[in-house]
Amino acid sequence: MKNILEIKNLTKYYGKTLAVKDLSLELHAGEIFGFIGPNGAGKSTTIRSIMNLINKTKGEVYFLGETLTKDNLTLKEQIGYLPSEVFLYEDLTVKEMLDYHESFYKKNLSKRRKELVKKLKLDESKKIEDLSLGNQKKLGIVLAFMHEPKLLILDEPTSGLDPIMQQVFYDLLQEEKEKGTTIFYSTHILSEISKICDRVGIIKEGNLLKVESIKELQSKNLTNVTIISSEIEKIIKELKVEVETLDEKTIKFKNTLNSNALIKILSKYEIEKLLIEEPTLEDIFLHYYK
Amino acid sequence: MFKREYKFNLKSFLIWTIITLSIFLLVYLMYPAIMSSENAKMIDELVKVFPKEVLVAFNMDIASMDSAFGWLKSEGSVFLLLIISSYAGMLGSSILLKEENDKTIEYLNSLPIKRTTIILNKVLVGIINITALTLLIGIFNYIGLTISGEFNTKQFILLSLTPLFSALVTFFICLFISTFTHKTKKTLGISLGIVLVSYMLNTFSAMAKEVEFLKYFSVFTLADIRNVIMNSSINLTVILITIILSISFLSLTIINYNKKELV
Repeated sequence: MKNILEIKNLTKYYGKTLAVKDLSLELHAGEIFGFIGPNGAGKSTTIRSIMNLINKTKGEVYFLGETLTKDNLTLKEQIGYLPSEVFLYEDLTVKEMLDYHESFYKKNLSKRRKELVKKLKLDESKKIEDLSLGNQKKLGIVLAFMHEPKLLILDEPTSGLDPIMQQVFYDLLQEEKEKGTTIFYSTHILSEISKICDRVGIIKEGNLLKVESIKELQSKNLTNVTIISSEIEKIIKELKVEVETLDEKTIKFKNTLNSNALIKILSKYEIEKLLIEEPTLEDIFLHYYK
Repeated sequence: MFKREYKFNLKSFLIWTIITLSIFLLVYLMYPAIMSSENAKMIDELVKVFPKEVLVAFNMDIASMDSAFGWLKSEGSVFLLLIISSYAGMLGSSILLKEENDKTIEYLNSLPIKRTTIILNKVLVGIINITALTLLIGIFNYIGLTISGEFNTKQFILLSLTPLFSALVTFFICLFISTFTHKTKKTLGISLGIVLVSYMLNTFSAMAKEVEFLKYFSVFTLADIRNVIMNSSINLTVILITIILSISFLSLTIINYNKKELV
């Protein structure tokens, strides 16, 4: 599979504080890559390093096989970027802002601009300083998408959008994916990942813990198990797992054993009730964050 | 980008222009009344009582206060120099840094434009505005002086242009300083400080031989007002130094800005 974006050994220190450590990953053409981690995990630092807003301590970023430097305008023209917080020129109207954006690109963007403005229900006559946070985000989305880039880098794109607009945005992402656009999607909202992404990278304390497809993640041998038994103490001792005690006879835990092995252990004890459930994607992620 | 930048800075440019022209207008309105009064002749006599150092500081040893042009050569030129340099300093310290201060840099950086191009567009707007402010004041003063009485045109033109040299260097110094921080509030104070300290050093250096060397630490030395008043000419060295300093600080700005972390 062709790689659109390659990050090699990216390391970033702020003074003596490590923000990202030796991060390497590849984005395949036409995929939506989810980049997930809690606040302060290093998501924005990674994105800002890709965008050359900050200097990398170590490492390289390649886009379409070329080193992505801050002065490579041919490559920059093919990237759409939406920061987590959208700050634009407040003295301009939405129309003036879009005109200004258009002036930086050689190709005619008016058709795509009209489509996006209509889809996201933006009022072009409004001044940016009068826009709500949600509408500023919508304008940020139009600016990131309107020059039809090959790579979209989106940092927390749905924050500030109402549920209806979120759905419009997800549909827009699907459209882009069908056109072959590669999307780097950074978020801390787990439900978004399972809904829209093909693969996911999990980042924690600056380290990329895992890169897997959503299907692979969901097929992991992880289940949620609830047991009610009068011999619960003995079961806990034998299972050797971290359990959540609901009452003196009931425990709940995340099981990594296969079902046969689990049942073999439990068969030695008096079990009143056994409940084995499929984990949610959230459970899988939280498992990695332990 | 140039168009947007020009439009954005137009408001503050107009405010500075209107305030400055209003002050000059007051002078032109007041001077005929002062000069026609019986006590007018006493002004020059009164001035002579001042210590020589004070007269030198305001060019009153080489210019008479008995006309509007005389005022312009003495107090007026100092006022002009302070106003244009303060404007240049504030513009230099904010024109580039504003993008970081307002966090719009994240958007601007994502566009297909080089950082050097961003600087050059903003610098061009800065130079145009500083020059336009100088010219507008000059045109206004020309009209005012024409109405007020006779004056030496060549000397007036040179006197109107000479603040441009110190103002441009102040602009580029402040632009360079702004590449070391992310907030405009830090640099605005520094820019005004540079203008005031320069003024003080220039004034002290003219007062006594022992501290004459201080003029080498002041951008106001480049304005060379005394030479214009005495010889009706601008020293070529001043022009060359202005160009060299401007290009040097612009180059340092480009180098530093290209290395800078913008967030």
